[in-house]
Amino acid sequence: MSEEKTITIEVDGQPLETKAGALLIDVTDAAGINIPRFCYHDKLSIAASCRMCLVEVAKVPKPIPACATQVMDGMVVQTRSPMALAAQKATMEFLLINHPLDCPVCDQGGECELQDVAMGYGSDVTRFVEGKRVIPENNIGPLIATDMTRCIHCTRCVRFGDEVAGMREMGATGRGEHMTIGTFVAHNINSELSGNVIDLCPVGALTSKPFQYRARAWELTRHTGVAPHDSVGSNIQIHTRRGEVMRVHPHSNDAINEVWLSDRDRFSYEGIKSEERLTQPLIKKDGEWVETSWEEALETAASGLREIASADADQIGTLVSPTATLEEIALAQKITEGLGSPNIDYRLRQEDFRGNSRAVPWLGQSIASLEDVDSALLIGSNIRKDQPLLAHRVRKAALKGAKIQLVNPLQLDLHFDAAQMVSDPAGMVRNLAAIAEAAGGSHHLTEQIEVTDEHKAVAEGLKCSKSTVILLGNIAQSHPDFTILYGLASVIAKAADAFVGVIPMAANSVGAAVVGAIPNKGLNAHAMLENPRKGYLLLGIEPGLDINNPALARAAMSGAETVVAITAYRSPCLEETASVMLPMAAFGETSGSFVNAEGRWQSFSGTTGPAGESRPGWKILRVLGNLMDISGFDYSSSEEILDELRGAHGGELQVASLGAAKGKIRSAVTGLARIGETPIYAADALVRRAASLQETEEARDAAVARVNPSVAADAGLLDGEKVAVVQGEGRAEMVLKVDANIPDGCVWVPAAVPGSESLGDQFGELSLEKV
Amino acid sequence: MANEVIFKNRDLDNLWDIEQYRSRGGYEILTRILTEKTPPAEIIDGMKTSGLRGRGGAGFPTGLKWSFINRSAPGDKYLVCNSDEGEPGTFKDRDILRYNPHALVEGMLIASYVIDAHRAYNYIRGEFWEPYERFQNAIDQARAAGFVGKNILGSGFDCELNVHLGGGAYVCGEETALLESIEGKKGQPRYKPPFPAHVGLYGCPTVINNTETLASVPTILREGAERFRDIGVENSGGSKLFSISGHVKNPGVFELPMGTPFSELFELAGGMRDGSKIKAVIPGGSSSPVIPGEIMMDLTMDYDAIAKAGSMLGSGAVIVMDESTCMVKVLDRMGYFYHEESCGQCTPCREGTGWLYRIVHRIENGQGRPEDIDLLMDVQNRIRGKTICALGDAAAMPVAGMLRYYQDEFQYHIDHKKCMAGTGA
Amino acid sequence: MKVFIDYIRSLFLLELLKGLQLTGRYLCAKKFTIQYPEERAPMSPRFRGLHAQRRYENGEERCIACKLCEATCPALAITIEAAPREDGSRRTTRYEIDLFKCIFCGYCEESCPVDAIVESRTYEYCFENRGENIMTKEQLLAHGDKHEVQLAKDLEAQAPYR
Repeated sequence: MSEEKTITIEVDGQPLETKAGALLIDVTDAAGINIPRFCYHDKLSIAASCRMCLVEVAKVPKPIPACATQVMDGMVVQTRSPMALAAQKATMEFLLINHPLDCPVCDQGGECELQDVAMGYGSDVTRFVEGKRVIPENNIGPLIATDMTRCIHCTRCVRFGDEVAGMREMGATGRGEHMTIGTFVAHNINSELSGNVIDLCPVGALTSKPFQYRARAWELTRHTGVAPHDSVGSNIQIHTRRGEVMRVHPHSNDAINEVWLSDRDRFSYEGIKSEERLTQPLIKKDGEWVETSWEEALETAASGLREIASADADQIGTLVSPTATLEEIALAQKITEGLGSPNIDYRLRQEDFRGNSRAVPWLGQSIASLEDVDSALLIGSNIRKDQPLLAHRVRKAALKGAKIQLVNPLQLDLHFDAAQMVSDPAGMVRNLAAIAEAAGGSHHLTEQIEVTDEHKAVAEGLKCSKSTVILLGNIAQSHPDFTILYGLASVIAKAADAFVGVIPMAANSVGAAVVGAIPNKGLNAHAMLENPRKGYLLLGIEPGLDINNPALARAAMSGAETVVAITAYRSPCLEETASVMLPMAAFGETSGSFVNAEGRWQSFSGTTGPAGESRPGWKILRVLGNLMDISGFDYSSSEEILDELRGAHGGELQVASLGAAKGKIRSAVTGLARIGETPIYAADALVRRAASLQETEEARDAAVARVNPSVAADAGLLDGEKVAVVQGEGRAEMVLKVDANIPDGCVWVPAAVPGSESLGDQFGELSLEKV
Repeated sequence: MANEVIFKNRDLDNLWDIEQYRSRGGYEILTRILTEKTPPAEIIDGMKTSGLRGRGGAGFPTGLKWSFINRSAPGDKYLVCNSDEGEPGTFKDRDILRYNPHALVEGMLIASYVIDAHRAYNYIRGEFWEPYERFQNAIDQARAAGFVGKNILGSGFDCELNVHLGGGAYVCGEETALLESIEGKKGQPRYKPPFPAHVGLYGCPTVINNTETLASVPTILREGAERFRDIGVENSGGSKLFSISGHVKNPGVFELPMGTPFSELFELAGGMRDGSKIKAVIPGGSSSPVIPGEIMMDLTMDYDAIAKAGSMLGSGAVIVMDESTCMVKVLDRMGYFYHEESCGQCTPCREGTGWLYRIVHRIENGQGRPEDIDLLMDVQNRIRGKTICALGDAAAMPVAGMLRYYQDEFQYHIDHKKCMAGTGA
Repeated sequence: MKVFIDYIRSLFLLELLKGLQLTGRYLCAKKFTIQYPEERAPMSPRFRGLHAQRRYENGEERCIACKLCEATCPALAITIEAAPREDGSRRTTRYEIDLFKCIFCGYCEESCPVDAIVESRTYEYCFENRGENIMTKEQLLAHGDKHEVQLAKDLEAQAPYR
């Protein structure tokens, strides 16, 4: 049967042209003919077990499932013939006999596939008079509410876990009527994509816990938006009611997130309603924070910055969060420029700026094309946690047989087969140099490097494939030798004829670079703090958590004359360092645009009014610009700013080198080396305040120091013991966890978690002390 | 009885020993095939001529099934023998494994040669410990004699035999559920197509045959396909094992030519126990519809004759019931069995078998309602033909069969809240 | 001819007598007028007066926050917010009926799967201040508690027709 051949089939008397071998249900869906179904989902394998899509096919004596039937030329299908209808109604009756029909208390009520189909195929009276099946409750974590009594055993969640999430966390146990979908051994669902089972579940068996009982589908207004965390830029639907964000759903876009959404993007909306939301402008008067009017706050901010700028414009430093919108970043850049300062940066977690290039770091290719690579080398990337949906694309490639290799400072728990080369941070550079040499590239480091068979195997894997990609992730970007890693990656890429790209950290990292939040001749994010400025403008930043070296940042800012923080949240480290806090609208409350990892510009509008007195960031910056008498701040909408930006920067992204330094390896340490990863649920201010996500095992286990058994034994420390992590002047008390995934000579101490505010560089030397 | 194919010389000692088997001409045909390199197509033709049909219940022509395998396709191919004899009333494969395991070993090797499989599995029902040991012993003996393993008899043909002991699920007797079970997964039938001949065990082309089918193969080839065919009647070649049980004097396994009158089989089993009168017969295992005794007495035991009477020959498991049997109770027990054994994968079977059981159970316990007979008929009809595998049909057909002939008993139960047949079964 | 006969008849004042006959009959008949508020007109069990929320006998509120009444209300008079209660059950945190908007159609009562929201026989109420037109959950429950006996009886009377 040729896949390309076009054939004609007849469905309900209507001739349809289609490709041979297509599934009947896909063909009818495309033609708008509705066949009821429960177990079928176009992104999952076929189970053909719900039997709802039974249709009559001429010359076949029994009704057959449309979801598992390939079309053949001349096939005559009846979807509503007496035989088909009888079969569909029979299945409906069977599904309903043990279904509790507790729609009034069920969260799925109003958006339930079973409810919808029952309206068409169900009967109004039951003939089943016996007791119904009841399944005991089980708790599978803070994100998903279960009521398995409602389960209709479609196994979509099971197949999702198996085929997409790559973690078989749910399964069917028991036979016949006693079959139960659950976790078998009681445990939480920990996949970073787990929320998708809520969408997949056709009934109310799996529903959203944070959203539980809070609203009905029919009360919600849907707004399309863009997810604010990872650089995938997943398309979302923000559901609001009476000016409040109630929940977030994925909006399908095959080029970006397909139909999925990571838990971080799905549940972070809870952070909007955090008690720490800043709803009133605040200024610091005599060391005390007082609420004030917008006029006074803006005037104080403007005059403070203007004064410093008039004396020495170079004393102004602007730091913008890569989760801020394009418009906000552009205005912040314009203000900085207007004040005469060259100092602006968004690369808050980067330490190594030796490359000194203004090239835009981006993926270098489309997100969808990642699943077609034959070979990939990921350098310093915990891709699964940092970019869950990019990891899904890589996983798809791996399942198709691509060879995925990683060079990381820790062994990762991945959901696909991959070769992992683990070493301490300095070892990463040496490993990469060895791979470069094995691949036949030349680099100034190669002479000092010993090439092992392992390195040769990696190089061979990269060279023997047709489409190869080398990507640098979050860890690499925070690495003290990022530019060297990048340079080595480029060498390998050249030798192996591969693409080299950077996985941008946040939703708008690429956008920030595109609109020029990279210093040209000014100071970069690190230099601005190393050489303290007198005035800082902070856009959406918490200095203790969002910056590579929080100790440095806090010291620099505490000593500054004026620190203007435009922020959605009030936090201890801002209270300590800032002089004015201007309340900014949070996610869902402002219009704007993000540029995702593949360079796609995506705009969204505000869905609810900003909380309290807060205002959209672009409006705050516009007024600040006006007050400082900087020209060109006459925008009346964010679209106007966007139009201007599109004109200036809207061209297609070019793959350009970030420039490679030929400096020394700086990551080598004499004592223990810190591996300062940013945990998935600590990545930015919004997610740090999403209550349910913070209750997950992932988040609860994040604020610990991890060492491998031998390091623990050397230091005489035990698992679960409280230790003090000492880094320079900084000291943080954390629980020690013994974890064999951490290489020798290293301590995994995360950044952006409570307690890490006083520590230094994400990667640097530290010591452990008993408490 | 000269017609016996599988149980020849059942009266001899140590029938399961390889020496004993070889002394009766065992492994001769395998040796001939391997040394002469008989073309597989020739063997398949032989099987087609013999009229051998699958003995597991469905009765699919064996030669045809083998011919579906594309020998030249790259990759592995597998042969699987289905000894997961779970059908209530069936116990013939157990006796093959116990008394003639080498016939099965030889049959499996020949079939593997035909389809070019280098690994064959025998899936034995979990409760069959003694048969499992006998069969495993037979494999070991055959291996020692050079019939199993690498380069068998110097022919260059490799074949490994493995035994897989089931976990006790009836549904694993369904061929694709059996494959899932061997793969280590939950025993749930797969949706067909694709059929196992294309995508079977571990995704490779696979032939699955019943124990009796494979055990017949050596004799058929040795003694000639025509001879085997002529033992039986048209469309039902050869002889067949019948497991007869119930209210007969001598329940047991009998090998008779296809087309033997039921009355003859009945005589062999010694007639009714304690002089009672025959009431009903289930001719092919619990999933085949029941036939009243008087009709059965005039039937011959072959696929077509039984089918004409509205039932199935199935696996040849004949259950005879006398007049004291309460048909409601019979259906109650069978309903419970299918309710417990449904795999739970597809809706009609998962929900329907439990419902059927509950209705019948209700009737049996004097809580029947007037509308229950119609409901039973309707529910069984709603299960039938709508499930992934045949278990749904197997649960539904006996209900229809019972109601066809014994509706009055059900009605009596509902009306009088007690049994018509007196004491009950 | 007809004109002539009508003329003769009119001389006998037959119409007047007919009218007086009716007057006479009602003069002696039982009176309809009632002396409100001393006297009250009889009421149907289906009377749709002021709303009430009912409880179960154990004191548990009936409402399960399914929001069907809110959805069905043609005047958009009902506002509900819900959240899981401490025991995990589905409950309203806010249940308000705006009596200015309400048109007393009874759809809320009709849609309620647990007979929680009902319209009682109360029709005498007034508002003196702005805001009193909003009936809160507490008021609704209190009103239900007060009239529970009557409400239960009325619901039972209607039950065969629902």
